[in-house]
Amino acid sequence: MVKQGEAKLVSIVDDDELMRNALLGLLKAVGLQARVFASAEEFLSSGFQHQTACLIADIRMPGMSGLELQAKLNNDHCSIPTIFITAHGGTKMRMEALRAGAAEFLTKPFDNAVLLQHVRAALGN
Amino acid sequence: MEYRAKWMTAPAESRALGYGLSLLLIGMTFGISRAFLYFRLPLPFTSFALCAIAITFWYGGIRPGILAAALAAVLRFYFFEGDQPALSRLIYDLIFLVFAVLMTKATRARDELELRVTERTADLTDANESLKDEIAERRRTEEKLQQSEAYLAEAQKVSHTGSFGWHIVSGKIFWSDETFRIFELAPATQPTLELIFERIHPEDTAFVRELISTATQARKHFDFEHRLLMPNDSVKYLHIVAHAVDNSSGDLEYVGAVSDVTERVRADQEREMLRQAHADLARVSRVTTMGELTASLAHELNQPIAAAVTDATTCLSWLNREHPDTQEACEAASRMVTDSTRAAEIISRIRLMFTKGTPERTLVDINEVILEMIALLHNEITRNSVSIQTMLAEDILQIMGDRIQLQQVIMNLIVNSIEAMKEVDGRRELVIKSQGAEKQQITVSVSDTGVGLPQGPNRIFDAFFTTKLHGTGMGLRISRSIIESHGGHLWAADNLPRGASFCLTLPGVVQKRQ
Repeated sequence: MVKQGEAKLVSIVDDDELMRNALLGLLKAVGLQARVFASAEEFLSSGFQHQTACLIADIRMPGMSGLELQAKLNNDHCSIPTIFITAHGGTKMRMEALRAGAAEFLTKPFDNAVLLQHVRAALGN
Repeated sequence: MEYRAKWMTAPAESRALGYGLSLLLIGMTFGISRAFLYFRLPLPFTSFALCAIAITFWYGGIRPGILAAALAAVLRFYFFEGDQPALSRLIYDLIFLVFAVLMTKATRARDELELRVTERTADLTDANESLKDEIAERRRTEEKLQQSEAYLAEAQKVSHTGSFGWHIVSGKIFWSDETFRIFELAPATQPTLELIFERIHPEDTAFVRELISTATQARKHFDFEHRLLMPNDSVKYLHIVAHAVDNSSGDLEYVGAVSDVTERVRADQEREMLRQAHADLARVSRVTTMGELTASLAHELNQPIAAAVTDATTCLSWLNREHPDTQEACEAASRMVTDSTRAAEIISRIRLMFTKGTPERTLVDINEVILEMIALLHNEITRNSVSIQTMLAEDILQIMGDRIQLQQVIMNLIVNSIEAMKEVDGRRELVIKSQGAEKQQITVSVSDTGVGLPQGPNRIFDAFFTTKLHGTGMGLRISRSIIESHGGHLWAADNLPRGASFCLTLPGVVQKRQ
């Protein structure tokens, strides 16, 4: 049970506190476990990347960006299904993200149902 | 006393002359009588002798006169009438004596008269002298008065200030030359209230009339400004000051000054127009910058809205259950409140930057301004992968100034720094420091690791100078003029090891935080 719960961990990386808390609340409401991180660096140094089944990340952040984080995880052989959320929905950026293996690319403000649908898909339900 | 002494004790010379005269005249009398005798003419000695005695008395004085009388008596006795009977001799002697006495009296009376005349003359001379002195003194005073009047007239001319007097009961008005000049009326004109009101600007007549009637009724002084409309349609601004005086007969009189303050008023108006133009220019520049930042600001606003949408969904999902979890729903709802508040704050900051209006001076906390601008530009900063570091003073740094304009300066400096780092690979670091220095000076610096200042002469603060593709070249120019209008300085320096540093100092209030 515990192992399964850990495996289903959703990690949220966003520099905006309001957004982090909103996502945390949303996932809690649908009964999913989640952890929040204010930056890519914080996430990488936490060690939780190895238990994360799904990653929700902002693209534009101070320091390492969401796309750089994804590349780093791929490099470290620690690929995680990732859903990007961003306020700048450029087509070019979207294609780039999806090519690099992103599960989905959502533009803020996004439809929460769509987000949850992709989270569940990533978790393999 | 001097003249008296002169006459009473005649000098030795004149005394000798007197006696000489007596001898000479009696001698001549004797000679002439002898000649008469020789030619057998009637003997005239007595008549001649009396004449000689009289002349001697008159011209020679009393004593020579007496001597002449005595000599004449002796000569008459020995040479002319020695053979006369004793009685007739006695009569002759008596006549001589009486004559001598009368002459003595007459001479004395004349002397006295002369003395009096001399005294009187001396008195008159004295009076004349003092009169002359007085006249000279008056002339001097008059000259002084004329000089001081000339100075006064010149001073009135130079200061464009005329004087006036106004006797209320008779309505009589006195004007100085300068007052005539100010009103552009010939000095021969008799100023009247009607004439003055003809000159006063039609829009001002009512209030001037009201003011004067109130002041005169209360016998109070007046001090006001009004306009004149001259015949050539030009407008003059006058400043009138007058105080009420009760003159010798107890009537109310006003004495005052009329200053032509047109130049001062025009300068004030121009200064005000310049200030307004400056504020307008600053606003245009602000709006331009904000326009360039639109995408960034929209994203900044999108963030709390996205969070609010998510929180609202969450809230609904807690409520739309078979057994609604109100506590969770409440938490989600309060997050929505925070989200919305943040969105509102961003909007109000943006709106503030678009505000039009004349600058207002209030006490502004510069650290607050810096943090607000960082918040507003947060997206612009992260979008360009800039890391920002703030080193703000712990003390409260307050500046008496216009908040929006100070925000504009900080915004300009941050946006410039971000722009300068866009083309640079490697670390993009923005450091903002604030410090309260001695003597209540506040320093703020914005340093970047961008391309640095352009080479050559420092023209970055010139108007329309830009290194940016879409820059207006007004940002730094306006920032500097804003800082200078707050009594401060804004300058640029190289940042080590690379980039540029913009520093500003402003006079302010440094307060220890409690």
